Amino acid sequence: MYKTEKLLHLRTYKRRPVRIVRELYLREDVPCSSSLCQAACANEGKVLSGDLTHYLVPDWRVVQDYLEILEFPEMRGVIFMQTACQAVQHQRGRRQYNRLRALLRDARRECISFANEFQHYSYLPREKGESMEKWQTRCIYNASVWYYRHCHGQMPVVMLTEDEEAIKAYGSETGGVFVISFRDYLESFWPDLKAAHELYESILQSQRERESESQENHGKEYPEHLPLEVLEAGIKSGRYIQGVLNVNKHRAQSEAFVRLQGTSNKKTDLQSDILIHSSRARNRAVHGDVVAVELLPRAEWKGRTCALSDNEMEEKAGEPHAEPMPTGRVVGVIQKNWRDYVATFPAKEETQSQGKNALKILVTPWDYRIPKIRISTQQAETLQDWRVVVRIDSWDSTSLYPNGHFVRVLGRIGDLEAEIATILVENSISVAPFSEAQMREMPVDTPKEPWQVTPEEQLVRTDLRDTHLVFSIDPKGCEDVDDTLSVRTLANGNLELGVHIADVTHFVAANSYTDIEARARATTYYLADRRYDMLPSILSADLCSLLGGADRYAVSVMWELDRETYEIKKVWYGRTIICSAYKLFYEAAQQLLDGDLTVVDEIPELQALDSEMGQARLEELLWAVGKLTEIARHMRAKRDICGALELEGVEVRVQLDERKNIADLIPKQPLEVHETVAECMILANHWVATKIYESFPHQALLRLHPPPCQEFFSELRECAEAKGFIISTRSNKALADSLDKANDPADPLVNKLLRSMATQAMSNAQYFSSGSCPEEEFYHYGLALDKYTHFTSPIRRYADIMVHRLLMAAILKDKKTEVRETLFGNKDLEELCAHINARNRAAQHSQKQSTELFQCMYFRDKNPESDERCVTDAIIYSLRTNGALLFLPRYGIKGAAYLRNKEGAVITCLPDGHCEWRPGSLQRFQNRIVSSTSNGSSSSFTLFDHVTVRISVQFSRCHADRIHLEIIRNQPYQAPTAELWEQSSSLLKTDLVKEVTRSAEEAQLAQEEAAVKGVREELQEYCQSQGQSLYQLLEEVRNLALLDVSAG
Amino acid sequence: MAGLELLSDQGYRLDGRKAVELRKIQARMGVFAQADGSAYIEQGNTKALAVVYGPHEIRGSRSKALHDRAVVNCQYSMATFSTGERKRRPHGDRKSSEMTLHLKQTFEAAILTQLYPRSQIDIYVQILQADGGNYCACVNAATLAIMDAGIPMRDYVCACSTGFIEDTPLVDLCYVEEAAGGPQLALALLPKSEQIALLEMNSRLHEDHLEKVLDAASKACRDVYAVLDRVVRDHVQEVCTLLGE
Repeated sequence: MYKTEKLLHLRTYKRRPVRIVRELYLREDVPCSSSLCQAACANEGKVLSGDLTHYLVPDWRVVQDYLEILEFPEMRGVIFMQTACQAVQHQRGRRQYNRLRALLRDARRECISFANEFQHYSYLPREKGESMEKWQTRCIYNASVWYYRHCHGQMPVVMLTEDEEAIKAYGSETGGVFVISFRDYLESFWPDLKAAHELYESILQSQRERESESQENHGKEYPEHLPLEVLEAGIKSGRYIQGVLNVNKHRAQSEAFVRLQGTSNKKTDLQSDILIHSSRARNRAVHGDVVAVELLPRAEWKGRTCALSDNEMEEKAGEPHAEPMPTGRVVGVIQKNWRDYVATFPAKEETQSQGKNALKILVTPWDYRIPKIRISTQQAETLQDWRVVVRIDSWDSTSLYPNGHFVRVLGRIGDLEAEIATILVENSISVAPFSEAQMREMPVDTPKEPWQVTPEEQLVRTDLRDTHLVFSIDPKGCEDVDDTLSVRTLANGNLELGVHIADVTHFVAANSYTDIEARARATTYYLADRRYDMLPSILSADLCSLLGGADRYAVSVMWELDRETYEIKKVWYGRTIICSAYKLFYEAAQQLLDGDLTVVDEIPELQALDSEMGQARLEELLWAVGKLTEIARHMRAKRDICGALELEGVEVRVQLDERKNIADLIPKQPLEVHETVAECMILANHWVATKIYESFPHQALLRLHPPPCQEFFSELRECAEAKGFIISTRSNKALADSLDKANDPADPLVNKLLRSMATQAMSNAQYFSSGSCPEEEFYHYGLALDKYTHFTSPIRRYADIMVHRLLMAAILKDKKTEVRETLFGNKDLEELCAHINARNRAAQHSQKQSTELFQCMYFRDKNPESDERCVTDAIIYSLRTNGALLFLPRYGIKGAAYLRNKEGAVITCLPDGHCEWRPGSLQRFQNRIVSSTSNGSSSSFTLFDHVTVRISVQFSRCHADRIHLEIIRNQPYQAPTAELWEQSSSLLKTDLVKEVTRSAEEAQLAQEEAAVKGVREELQEYCQSQGQSLYQLLEEVRNLALLDVSAG
Repeated sequence: MAGLELLSDQGYRLDGRKAVELRKIQARMGVFAQADGSAYIEQGNTKALAVVYGPHEIRGSRSKALHDRAVVNCQYSMATFSTGERKRRPHGDRKSSEMTLHLKQTFEAAILTQLYPRSQIDIYVQILQADGGNYCACVNAATLAIMDAGIPMRDYVCACSTGFIEDTPLVDLCYVEEAAGGPQLALALLPKSEQIALLEMNSRLHEDHLEKVLDAASKACRDVYAVLDRVVRDHVQEVCTLLGE
């Protein structure tokens, strides 16, 4: 049993400078696993049969590259030498080695492995200076010879090698052992095995490609980044260009753009973005990184793809590209903007193929623009159906994917809370509840200890409680009233207009905990069904909310206006105490304005008074509202003359629509009162901006709206031309005028769409510090004002808080008193502005994403084939080569519909208007797409055509679900019955939540379910699913619990 | 080199041994004339040198002396050139003092110390080349050296390490197998009486497997015993022929 009589062989090899010596024990009793063996080898398991024409010994190289061909069942009698197996294991990695092992274990396959390196007589030591490859080939040849002799020459052995020298050297050395190349072998032994030949060719092909690639980068997946000094020098000299990487959401694999940044670039001839094509050129930069780019020579420039696609589709070679644009490659990352990413583990079936103890797993981020992340975890199976947060740690040039690690679990896929949390994480919004330290700073206002105006404050503030009629106009049910208005006639006959804004800065001291928290949040986040406040609710809903009939601190701006011309004569800024007399809502105010007094019953403040007194008060209010509207109209007109615009109106309206969607707050039609209030606010913002800029020319926080890039308007112009309108974009005034004219009486949506396209084409308004920008650039394009800021909503915007502090400091400065508060310097303020701008974008994105989430949830449980709510009218507002972008007025959804599907079929219209998928082709013209089928019929889709679409939800495991649109008729939607038509036409606006709630109620009535009262409206949306979903059940249980508590 | 396969499907280990096979052991006794006893052992590429002085009077402070038995003083060290990387290894670092302690425990159990009260036995062991199983090589070398010094022992002390990989116990691990980080068990056995002088285990091993691994280890120790016995007998014969003309 005891076996030290083995010869001890030393095998040395160099790895790094270290010399490692390993033992090798050789023996004679290595089983040969051949049935022809006459040496009584202890053969167990698989044995090669003796009725073959030859044994096949593949070289290490052949095993590495052509294992797939050796897997063919025709290949019998294959002997895998241990040397070859080890070469696979070391050089090809675990995956291919496992495949080889599986092949060897498969009892049906006639192949064995032979431990030639442990066999005393087949082993050859590596000679000094001999390359590894040569030695391996020699070993295998020697083993083949041994094998041939071991079987006493009964069976010829064919050794396959790709090494020409080996064929020459060993080819005729031993009779009965043939050394030929794999190609020759296939041709002479298997001329009929076509599949093997084809496979051989394709493997050869891919190998060549790899080689040509690896010649460039020495086996690395990506080129190395350049060091930072080189980048900086390169950027200065203009060799490289600095910018922010922006990955195309729809083609995340291949396309990314670099938006040029700042003034650091000397190449002024570069106007547009730089295209980064393919992930190799992107060189490990992640969406949002600040990168340095080198431009490619003009011959290699590419155009952006203009066909619709989603990420699932493979890039086809023949896809049409637009005009070539500057194309570059990333040479270095200047600043990484890695954040937390929400990701999903691959489904179980996929993980299993990665091997049972594969601890490294590729997770798919929720955001399409982020590449897959490799993380190592042992919880892959338990975390299957959960959304998790991961972080990227590193990305080596040798690795195709970044390495990361798992941070925490968010919740189950598809669960509402988990999906909302996903949206928050993806937008880097953190909304932990306010801490105790923050709450301790808050003033107290309980029924026992009501908050009161302190005498000290009363001394320094102007008391407007008795002299002014102050009232607020807000959406119905609004909690955070931050602006109020007043108007009165002065003794000299002039008018006095006042805007009073909640004095948040009185409660939130600079650099207090609350202030720091508010600065971090920067804004209140409105999601589709909830809201995350910037300030604790004691402030936002109580002490800083200018409620009716309560004494409140305010910051006021008051103008003295000429009684006739409404010319501004004087302006006054200051801290005040006010008591709002009326808390009106928009509809009521509008009705008062229209002279409709029935609404009086709805105003609680007028109820308490007796009729005579009430009448007088009502008169007073009526006069104020009327006067206010008149002033606003006048201001508006004046702004219009100065080149003012309708544009901001559009923007506001869109935002209001959004809010409408969410909180069910705003009337369906925009009322004049809206504009009145908005105009007063714009006036206040403008004057405050002027004031703080005068006092602090280098550190005032202002808001600018840069003039848009003319190129962005080209799409708008084209669209308008399709309808016969001419849009002039020379100046903001020309644009506004031409937009007003572009009104199709037959279709009011056209104007609406054009306006929203114009809004899209414009750049976003931004906060900035006045010290970092020349004065000419302060211009607010949309409002046509030379200076503008945000002052009127300090409860939900941090910028307004900053402006309040600036204004207070400016007042103190005027009074020649010492400025107590330390204000932000220009640099700090600029940083703060960048932060606020970023947070505002995040707020907008999260709002949009949550709305989309709710849309998907709304349609998720509906059967698109049968449910009439899934079929609706749509209007084409943009064309692509293989599809069209549609706007669905009923739900306010914008989306893409394919006109050609993945199988290559195109949509074609039958004479009755219904559409079908037929094989054919698409042709895109300036303003229409023509689909022609193979049998000659053709149909066209023109811009602003109304079509009928079917809405369905496209499920996605790793990403957000998406609305999928399919054109089913090329005519406007006709509801099946008159009643339904009425119903859908009454839904002019995009009030999805309202609609959801209503249909939910209907569905519930239809099912005769017990109506559950006291449920929040938003929640009803989830009860309306007709099928029994688990969520519904849970929700019902929860409602029952609520009922019990309220009953008890 | 992703994940070495420590045990192939055919049942071979990396160096061509099967699971229960030991490395080649070569040993010589009486390599130094100056010392009372000395021995050199090679277990595969692990090479160890052991020297024994004593029993002699207590050196240094007399307070360490024990009235009923001898003090066993051990010292373990590794040569700077013993590993792949050249590294100065000062005496008294954590690893070597632990090893020293283990050796001391082992030999206090094996040597009949009560025969030499108030005296001291010094055992110095040095690893000249480390390739796994350092402790075992040291114990085996020291056993031979003590015999060479003529100090009476209860029995040979034979040591062997055992690993557990893919549900198979592997005996006498080499460095690569040790470095893989699997469970490892070092056993010092008095083979005749099957008494355990020392048992040490690293990493985690399920208790169901312990018996299997222990069996394999004691089997391996008996194999070692066979070799050592052969070496001792050869040595004695050689000495006899030299002395007894």
